[in-house]
Amino acid sequence: MILELENISQAKNGHQILSDVNLSVSRGAFFVLMGPTGCGKTSLLRIAGLLDKPSSGRVMCFDRLIPLRGKERLQARRRMVTLLQRPVLFRGSVFSNVEWGLRIRGIPLNEINTKVLRVLELVDLEGYGDRDSGTLSGGELQRVALARALVIEPSVLILDEPTTSLDPNLRFDLLRRLRDLHSKTGITFIMATHDFTDALSIGTTGAVMRNGRIEQTGTIDEIFYSPKTPFMASFVGMRNVFPAEFREDGAVAGGHLVRHTSDKRGHGFLAIPPEAIVVSRKTTVTSERNHFIGTIESVERTGSIFSISVSCGNLIMISSITRSALTELDLTEGQEVCISFKASAVHVF
Amino acid sequence: MTQLLEAFQIALNMIISGDPVVFSIAFRTLMISLTATLVSAFIFIPVACLIHFNQFRGKKFLVSIIQTLFSVPTVLVGMLVFLFISRAGPLGNLGMLFTPGAIVLGEVLLIAPIITGLTISALSGMGREIPDTALSLGAGQLQMVLKVLSESRYMVLTAVLMGFGRAVSEIGVAIIVGGNISGYTRTLTTAIALGVGQGEIAASIALGIILLSLAMIVSLTVSTLQHSVKR
Amino acid sequence: MLKNILSRILIVVVLFAACGGQSSREDAEKELVEDVHTDSIPPLPGAIRLRVATTTSLYDTGLWGYLEPMFEEEYGVELDVLYAGTGKALEWGRRGDVDVITVHSRAREEQFVEEGYGLERVPFAYNYFLVVGSPDDPAHLEGMAPEDAFRTLMQNGEGLFVSRGDDSGTHGKEKAIWTAAGYDYEDVRTSGDWYIEGGSGMGPTLVMADEMGAYTLTDMGTFIAYQGDLELEPLVDKGDMLLNVYSVIEITSARNPEMAANLREFLTSETVQELIGNYGVGEYGIQLFTPCAGEDMQDI
Repeated sequence: MILELENISQAKNGHQILSDVNLSVSRGAFFVLMGPTGCGKTSLLRIAGLLDKPSSGRVMCFDRLIPLRGKERLQARRRMVTLLQRPVLFRGSVFSNVEWGLRIRGIPLNEINTKVLRVLELVDLEGYGDRDSGTLSGGELQRVALARALVIEPSVLILDEPTTSLDPNLRFDLLRRLRDLHSKTGITFIMATHDFTDALSIGTTGAVMRNGRIEQTGTIDEIFYSPKTPFMASFVGMRNVFPAEFREDGAVAGGHLVRHTSDKRGHGFLAIPPEAIVVSRKTTVTSERNHFIGTIESVERTGSIFSISVSCGNLIMISSITRSALTELDLTEGQEVCISFKASAVHVF
Repeated sequence: MTQLLEAFQIALNMIISGDPVVFSIAFRTLMISLTATLVSAFIFIPVACLIHFNQFRGKKFLVSIIQTLFSVPTVLVGMLVFLFISRAGPLGNLGMLFTPGAIVLGEVLLIAPIITGLTISALSGMGREIPDTALSLGAGQLQMVLKVLSESRYMVLTAVLMGFGRAVSEIGVAIIVGGNISGYTRTLTTAIALGVGQGEIAASIALGIILLSLAMIVSLTVSTLQHSVKR
Repeated sequence: MLKNILSRILIVVVLFAACGGQSSREDAEKELVEDVHTDSIPPLPGAIRLRVATTTSLYDTGLWGYLEPMFEEEYGVELDVLYAGTGKALEWGRRGDVDVITVHSRAREEQFVEEGYGLERVPFAYNYFLVVGSPDDPAHLEGMAPEDAFRTLMQNGEGLFVSRGDDSGTHGKEKAIWTAAGYDYEDVRTSGDWYIEGGSGMGPTLVMADEMGAYTLTDMGTFIAYQGDLELEPLVDKGDMLLNVYSVIEITSARNPEMAANLREFLTSETVQELIGNYGVGEYGIQLFTPCAGEDMQDI
């Protein structure tokens, strides 16, 4: 593990910002820290990047416990770079910005020159060395900040919401660059984002935060396909999430017995992906499927797909069907229909 | 009125012809104020950094005290310094009273709040981004502070210039601890005060013009600097 | 543009700093406020400085500016002349901040010496105090004895009076006259707007009285030196009360007792006594100070 956080808590002015956070990032990972704005991502990154000290808890970097002050902390900090949410450049030229991290490390001048030129090329800013940092566009500024971080050749690159201030094109461009860099360099990336599509496109592992706590951590697939809590389920876009009691014969949710394939017992949640729910006019009972009779509450168009809300007693289930299916079935509001889904489609947690 | 115009005429002649008395006073004033400003800057810019970059109880209170002291009466500083360096005072054996060094000391203290306070403002103006950027790029604490100072250099220079402006135009310290000794501790302001009292109007006007020019150079430079910061 | 300005400022600063070291002390400029044009004397390397605190009347008349370079040349010392009222000069003496004082307030000088702060009170010159006022003399003080003049001012309320109000020797003399006239000084001070406390040296007080058309008590030397610029005229100039004796006192705790003694000897030497007697005669046509070193001034 290149970075491990143990029982990290952070309080500022009486507010608990982080509570008992445990996290580990393996060497070479592209770790994505997700969660809504204000959930503590930035605070956690500042602690991970050794910029801030936690109120309590331990930070391990490069398999060593990092003390709260002293030379060892500085040395560890010098092996990582944090790219702040809204990067600022120093006064002066692009070159002087990029070389600064090397200068404070006492790198010889001739080496600095080669490294800076190489890294400017890497971010497609050849020939920008003499430009005044105040005259750059948003995308250029972002790339200079990236170059300024990369020139140090860090083991860990921490990025705090790098895409927020960029328009969609630049954002796509930056994500592509980051993915390339990750595959080329072997640097461990830790990136915070409130937009999980970023995470899906480049992350390998990650964590989701909520109110200063880690909600779930694991591989990106685990997070997106096996959410462990209702919050996680809704965060990754799951719908039809219901509390249920799990018994021998199945789960009871809203007074209905729902068959599933998990061996969970006691209280928990189940979720049924809308695309797994089939709507029909007639009942066709098969053993491996769940069947419910209900009334159509509403039909809404969401993009090229239609969402149909069906009220089945205490549960309102949402099903997604295509336009052709909708016309074929001739579904309208107030109609009685049958909905069914496979037991194996039910996600239990 | 004609009398005043006449005096003004003579004053201008004194300046144009480089009157040795007038210019030696102006030069001495400049040396004393510059020394005081440099010494104060060397001591109190670091002090400002210490205050700004450390968190401690009562920090806000301390900063507001410092801001209140921007306009501390010069005679009050003069009096305190007098009591300390008078031979009967705690620092009496230094023999500093009635020397240019005494004026420098007093002015260093007089402008300390301005230099400290305005430097703190300059550093605060950099927000959290600049220090964070420096630290995240691997700066040690000192390297970070130096970088933030260099990024805010125009504002810090403004602080120093404001300090110089106050030092060069004050009279309380110069007259109380300097004693207005001819050829030794006589400054522009004390010479003007004495000259007016003794009816030496022309010479006083000449000195006044020089003092005003110095003050104007300072304030012009300050406004140019501030303009360039806004960019 | 900005860099240009900054670099120019820097150059100027560096230049000043560079030449400041050697020349800042060499430019002992001539007295600004007087017409003495002796050549400026560069201080000897490692010269000892001697500090004399003098009453403003000896300063404003230019006497010290006249004597200072002579003393400096003769003894190879830098003489720092500090002007202040007698009260302040005595206080500096008490604190040991000056080496010698030249003042004019006999009772306080004697007390000062008695308390051990000064070695000896040595009178070296005298002149007279004057009550001066605007030529129209609204209170008709002309020719009166000083006590009577003050009594008239207090009683009939015609005319303003500007007091030094600074605890100086002249101020002390004024208080003594009020006492002799039969008043408590505090009562006079608080009796109304006609009594103005200037709080300045003799010269500025004269300028103030002139501006206001007021009366004031002044030493003769300063008045004569300033007379050319003023409309004020001497109105009361007779009476023993008005005698004004200047003394030199070496401070017991002087840092440089030998040089302090030199200054006392210098002031009382025959040559300098003669110079004091002749000072200002050429310019004003009248003697400003009467030398009196060695004479018995006990009675007066």
